[in-house]
Amino acid sequence: MSVGVRTLVALTLVARVASAQDPRLAQRLDKPTYVAVNAIVDSARVVNLPTAPLVDKALEGAAKGSDGQKIVAAVHLLSVRMAASRRALGSNATGDEIKAAATALGAGMSTRDLARLRTATGKRSVAMPLAVAIDLIGRDVPVATATSLLIQLERSGVKDSDLALFQRNVRADIDHGADPTVAATTRARGLVARAGPAAPKPSE
Amino acid sequence: MRDDDIVNFDEIARELQKPVRVDRSFNERVMDSVLRLPRHARARLWKRLTTPRTVTITPLGWGLAAASLLLFASLGVIHAKEDLHRAAQPIAKALFATPAAAPQRVQFVLVAPDAKKVAVVGDFNGWDASHVAYQAQQRGGGVWSVTAPVPVGHHRYSFVVDDSLWVADPTAPRVIDTDYGLPNSAIVVEDNK
Repeated sequence: MSVGVRTLVALTLVARVASAQDPRLAQRLDKPTYVAVNAIVDSARVVNLPTAPLVDKALEGAAKGSDGQKIVAAVHLLSVRMAASRRALGSNATGDEIKAAATALGAGMSTRDLARLRTATGKRSVAMPLAVAIDLIGRDVPVATATSLLIQLERSGVKDSDLALFQRNVRADIDHGADPTVAATTRARGLVARAGPAAPKPSE
Repeated sequence: MRDDDIVNFDEIARELQKPVRVDRSFNERVMDSVLRLPRHARARLWKRLTTPRTVTITPLGWGLAAASLLLFASLGVIHAKEDLHRAAQPIAKALFATPAAAPQRVQFVLVAPDAKKVAVVGDFNGWDASHVAYQAQQRGGGVWSVTAPVPVGHHRYSFVVDDSLWVADPTAPRVIDTDYGLPNSAIVVEDNK
């Protein structure tokens, strides 16, 4: 590498590091926690992972009054999950997708589930399908069922706005006493039927 | 010292002071001898490099030499391309990145009849419950709401009631997030353009 290119790279890296220090972390975290979180953020930056979710995770911990150890552990776990998410979703995954996928891993989905969902969504974002899947899992729909339903909905070409409506309807059904799995499967079947006859029917 | 020694010295001195007669070919003979002396290694190399010569090469040798040259050139180009690509990525990102989509206005609503204060906190405001733009207003009948800008993308958020109670948005997807033991909701904001 020529001296010119080396200088350019060095200047760019310095500029990136300098611009990356979030002053909010220094304001809201104690010194040891700040140093540890910054180290994790810097490591993530080196491997080109999005750093904003890590900063947000630390700020969330500080807002919720968590101790430093808990904050560092949460930020570290998130960075590990984001790295796994990117591997599963592919190098073209956006920061939002990686962030949503990391949350999905925390909810019990596997990297294989993420990869299958990625294949089903194609070029569309997996952020919304993942948010809905996480919600279903949180409402006691088994992980396998929730993943399978979202994959089928995505294969049917259901729009994000329809997914949001699907999530609201399932929630309302559950609030009215329906079994979560039955509610989710029934609503998904209706959505797939509306999307088109070619789409495969979700199994119960 | 004896007297006859002094006489000898005087004779020698006189002899040495006489002008020396050098014949005309002296300089040429000296230079000829100098040129015939063994040369310095660098001079020999320079002479070898600058003296024209004829090199014979077989077709196979010529092909191998050409292939080697081509291989080295290709490797050099690939390495240079990789280095340049690596160096240019952050710069290109900074220069040509598409501008971030404008934040969208999102309405947050919570029914909390007994609340004295409701704020929205999340990834979009640094989880800052004192952020002015995200303070909900009481609309009557226990309904609190605020419409605030939220950047396009996936966000986690929560309501903070009376600065102490964390409440997930009952109308939004839940986020299973046990890191800090308090509930969150998720929102995916799309670019409306």
